[in-house]
Amino acid sequence: MDSKARTVGVLVAFLGVCPFGAGVALAQTPAGRDTCVSCHAGLPESRLARPAELFAQPDIHRESGFACADCHRGDPGATEKSRAHDGAHGFRGKPMGLAVITACARCHSDAELMRRFAPRQRVDQALEYATSVHGKRLAAGDTKVATCASCHGAHGVRRVKDSKSPVFPTNVGGTCASCHASDEHMRGYTLPGGAPLPVNQFSEYQKSVHYAALMKADDLSAPSCNACHGNHGAAPPGVGSVANVCGTCHAVFAQKFETSVHAQIFDKGCVECHGNHAVLKPSDEMLGTGAHAICATCHGGPDDKGAVAAEAMRGDIDRLKGAIDATGTLVARVKNAGIEVSTQELALAEARSHLTLARAEIHASDAARVDAIIQDGLKIVTTTDTAGQRGLRELKYRRTGLVISLGVILLVVVTLALKIRQLDRRG
Amino acid sequence: MVQRVVDWVDERIDLSDVRHFIAGKGVPIHAQKVWYYLGGLTLFLLAVQIFTGILLLLYYRPSAAEAYESVQFIVSDVEFGWLIRNIHSWSANLLIAVAFAHFFSVFLLKSYRKPRELTWLTGIVLLFLMLAFGFSGYLLPWNELSFFATKVGTGIAGTVPFVGRFLLRLLRGGDEVTGATLSRFYGLHVAVLPAITTALVAAHLLLVQRQGMSVPIDVEQRAKPGERLRQMPFFPNYVLRDVLAWYIALAILAALAAFYPWELGKKADQFAVVPPGIRPEWYFLAMFHTLKLLPSHILGLEGERVGVAAFGLAALFLVLVPFLDGRSNRGERSPLFTALAMLGLVYLVAFTIIGHFAK
Amino acid sequence: MAKLDDIRVADDREVNRRSFLDTVLNVGYVSTAAAIAYPVTRFLIPPKSGEPATASVVAAKAASLRPNSGIVFQFGNKPAIVVRTTDGELRAYSAVCTHLECTVQFKADTSQLWCACHNGIYDLSGNVVSGPPPRSLEKFNVNVRGEPGDEDIVVSRT
Repeated sequence: MDSKARTVGVLVAFLGVCPFGAGVALAQTPAGRDTCVSCHAGLPESRLARPAELFAQPDIHRESGFACADCHRGDPGATEKSRAHDGAHGFRGKPMGLAVITACARCHSDAELMRRFAPRQRVDQALEYATSVHGKRLAAGDTKVATCASCHGAHGVRRVKDSKSPVFPTNVGGTCASCHASDEHMRGYTLPGGAPLPVNQFSEYQKSVHYAALMKADDLSAPSCNACHGNHGAAPPGVGSVANVCGTCHAVFAQKFETSVHAQIFDKGCVECHGNHAVLKPSDEMLGTGAHAICATCHGGPDDKGAVAAEAMRGDIDRLKGAIDATGTLVARVKNAGIEVSTQELALAEARSHLTLARAEIHASDAARVDAIIQDGLKIVTTTDTAGQRGLRELKYRRTGLVISLGVILLVVVTLALKIRQLDRRG
Repeated sequence: MVQRVVDWVDERIDLSDVRHFIAGKGVPIHAQKVWYYLGGLTLFLLAVQIFTGILLLLYYRPSAAEAYESVQFIVSDVEFGWLIRNIHSWSANLLIAVAFAHFFSVFLLKSYRKPRELTWLTGIVLLFLMLAFGFSGYLLPWNELSFFATKVGTGIAGTVPFVGRFLLRLLRGGDEVTGATLSRFYGLHVAVLPAITTALVAAHLLLVQRQGMSVPIDVEQRAKPGERLRQMPFFPNYVLRDVLAWYIALAILAALAAFYPWELGKKADQFAVVPPGIRPEWYFLAMFHTLKLLPSHILGLEGERVGVAAFGLAALFLVLVPFLDGRSNRGERSPLFTALAMLGLVYLVAFTIIGHFAK
Repeated sequence: MAKLDDIRVADDREVNRRSFLDTVLNVGYVSTAAAIAYPVTRFLIPPKSGEPATASVVAAKAASLRPNSGIVFQFGNKPAIVVRTTDGELRAYSAVCTHLECTVQFKADTSQLWCACHNGIYDLSGNVVSGPPPRSLEKFNVNVRGEPGDEDIVVSRT
C-alpha cells in the first residue's frame, strides 16, 4: 500500500471510530420535521429536485431511519434556506472526490454502528477501496474515477440483493461500463506499457460464456467484472495471479495447469488461450495443430515436442468422440427397433464423462495422462458396442423366427389346398 | 377327440338344431364366389385384433407420461412383446384393407339390394367403426408421428360445418392434443368402439346366417325360373376354404412383421415443431390429400369446410345406397351404381397413391 | 349337396392318401395352436424387470447400505445415487451432475456428494456447496419394502 493510500485509509479509520463522528451519525431527523425533502422536491431546477425524488424511492438508508441531514448535516427543521444550509450546523452540500469516501465511511467503516443496522455487513470497504486503482488515483487528485456513489448511487440506494440495484450481479457489468466503455471518459488513461486503456472490455465480455450464464441461464454465481477484479479493491489481476483468479471457480483446471510446463512460461496464465473478457465456450478445435487450434500459435512441425503432444491429445479425444457417436447411433437404432438398452445408454453416458475428464486433463499438457483416460473410455464404448451388436443379432433372430413360421404356415396352406381339392372330388 | 367333446355337450344340451343347421347350410357356387371369403377374412382379422389388443392391454399405460415407455417396455422387456405388438399394428392395417375390399365387392355385386338392406347398414357403420379404431389406436403409442397425425386429423374434424368446434373439443378433450386426448382415445379404443362393434357384428352375422349368401344379379338372371343354383356344403368344404384364406392372411402378417417391423419412433413432445410432410396413415391419405388440393375458397366458403362437408354427404349417400338403387331392388342390372362404385374405387386408390408420393 | 350315403367307397390308396393328408393337416392345426399358445404364455408371465423402469426401481438391499455411505445404481437409463446419512436416514438423488452430466459419487470423509470431473460438491440435501454445478440434484423418493431382514430400498420419482 503506497503512502497516499495509507493516508486515506488512516483518515477514514480515524473518523470511523471517532466518537464525535459516531455521535453525529446517530442524530436522526425527528419524524415529520424534514424540510429538506419537501423544499427540494418543489424546486424547478431538476439538478436540485432529483435527489429528493430519488430519496423517496426504495432507499435502504431512508428505510433504516436516516434522512438528508444524517449525511449532509444542516438543520432539517429550518424552513428557510440560509438557516437550513447553515454552516454552524455542519452543512456540507454535495461532497466531491475524497469527501464522498469519508462521508460514506463515517458509518460504513464503524463496526459498532453497522452492527446495530446490518450486523453481517463488512466494514472494510473503504480500506479495500484505498488499495484499488480508483482509490489510488483519487488520492492523487483524479476526480473522474469511481467513488461509492458512482456505483451504489447516493439517493435511492438499493440493497445489493435488490435486482434493480446497479450492483446486483446482472447489473454490475453495465455499471462498470458506464465509465469504462466511454471513449470520452477514458481518454488520457493508459496501460502500464503506455498504450491507451481499451474501452472494449464490456463488449468483449458480452460475447463470453460467463455473460451468457449470468444473463440467460440465470446463474448468479457466474462472474461479472467484480468477480475477477474485486469489488471495492478493483484492480486488474497481476501477472502470475490470473490462474489463481480463474482457479477460484475453475479449481480443477487451475490445479492441472499448475503441474504443466505452461505454468512456468505463460505470463498471463489461463488468459493466453482463453482470453480475459471474451472468454468463449471452448471446443476441441482449440486443441492440436489444426487450422483453428490455439496450440498452433506457438507449436508446429514434427520436431516440436509440444506439437506432437497436442496432436496426440487431440487425436485421442477425437477417437473417443467418434467411437461414442458411432456406438450411440447403433444403440439408438437398436432401441428404436425394440431392444432393451438402458444399461448401454448408461454406459455411453459414463464414456462421455471420460471425454469431460480428458478435456480437463489436457491442461496438464501431459499426453500420456490424457491417453489413460481415453483408453478407459474406449473400453467402455467397446463393451457397449458389443452389446449393441448383440441387439442387432437379436433382431435378426426375431426375423429368422418369423420367416420360419412363415414357411410352416405356407406348408399348412398347401396341405389345406390339397384337402379341399380332395373334398371337392369326393362330393 | 373333438368329436368326443361335441358328443359330451350334445348329451347335455341338445345340439341337433345346430347340427341340422350346419349340415343344411350351403354356399352358392358361381364365378364370383371368391368374394365371399372377404367377410370371413375381415372377421378373422378383427378377432386377431381383439386377441392381441387384450394382451397389449395388460401392459399398456394410457397416460402421456407413461404410454411411450410402456410400449417400449412391451417390445423390449416382455417376452414376445415385440411379436404381439407387431401383429397388432400390421393386422390393423390389413383389417382396414380387407374391410374396404369386402365393402367394394358388396357394392359392386349389389349384395345390398333387398332383402339385405340391414346387412348393408350394419356393415357401413362397421366400416366407419374400423376407421375410428385405426384413428384412435394410432395415437396410443404416443410417439411423434402419431401425436402430429392426431393433431392434424382432429384439426380437420374441427372444420365440419356447424358442429366442428364442438367435435374438435370432444375428440381432443380440450383445445389441444394432450394427455386428456390420450385418455379419451384409449377409452374409445378399448371400451366404447369394441362394445358397439360387438353388437353390430353380431347383428351383421345373424342377418347373413338367416338370409344366406347373396348371388350376383346376372347369375340370378341366367338361372332358369325354379332352378336351384349349385351349392357346396358349408361344412366342411366352404369352412376349409375360409380357413385357407385365414392362413394366407396369417402368412402375410408374419411376412410383414418379419421384414417391416414396426418401430418405436421418438416420444411425442407437445411443444416440438410439426415435422414437415406429416400425414395420416394410408387409409386416410386419399381424403387428406384431396383436402390439401382443394383451393382455399370455393364459392365464397372455406375450401376445407366444403371438402369435409362433401365427404360427409358421400358417407350419407353410401348409407342410403340400398334405398336409392331401385333397379337392383327389382333384380335388374344397375350400371349407374356400378359406375359410381368403380369411380369411388378408382378415386380412393389413385388419391392414396398420389398422396403417398406427394411431397 | 353331398350326403354321407352318396360317397363312393374309396380304395386303399385313396384312404391312405386321405388319412395322410388328414394327419398332416391335424399336425398343422396343432402346431399353429402351439405356435400361438407358446408366445402368448411367455408374454403373460411377468418379465424380470417388473414394470417400466421410468417410475420406480429397486436400488439395493437395505442391509448393504451402511451409515455414511452411498451407492450409485441404474435408474432407467441414467445413474442415481442412494445415500444413508450418519444418522441412518435414507436419501436418493439423480447422480447426473447438473454441470456437464458426469456421475457424482459419495465422499465419506466429507459426507458430501462429489463430481470428479470439475470438483463440483453437493451437500446431502442435493444442494450445491461449491464448484461449477448451476442447480441442485433432482430429488427422488426412497422407501424400504420387503421381508424384515431382507428389505429392498425402492427409489421412485417424486
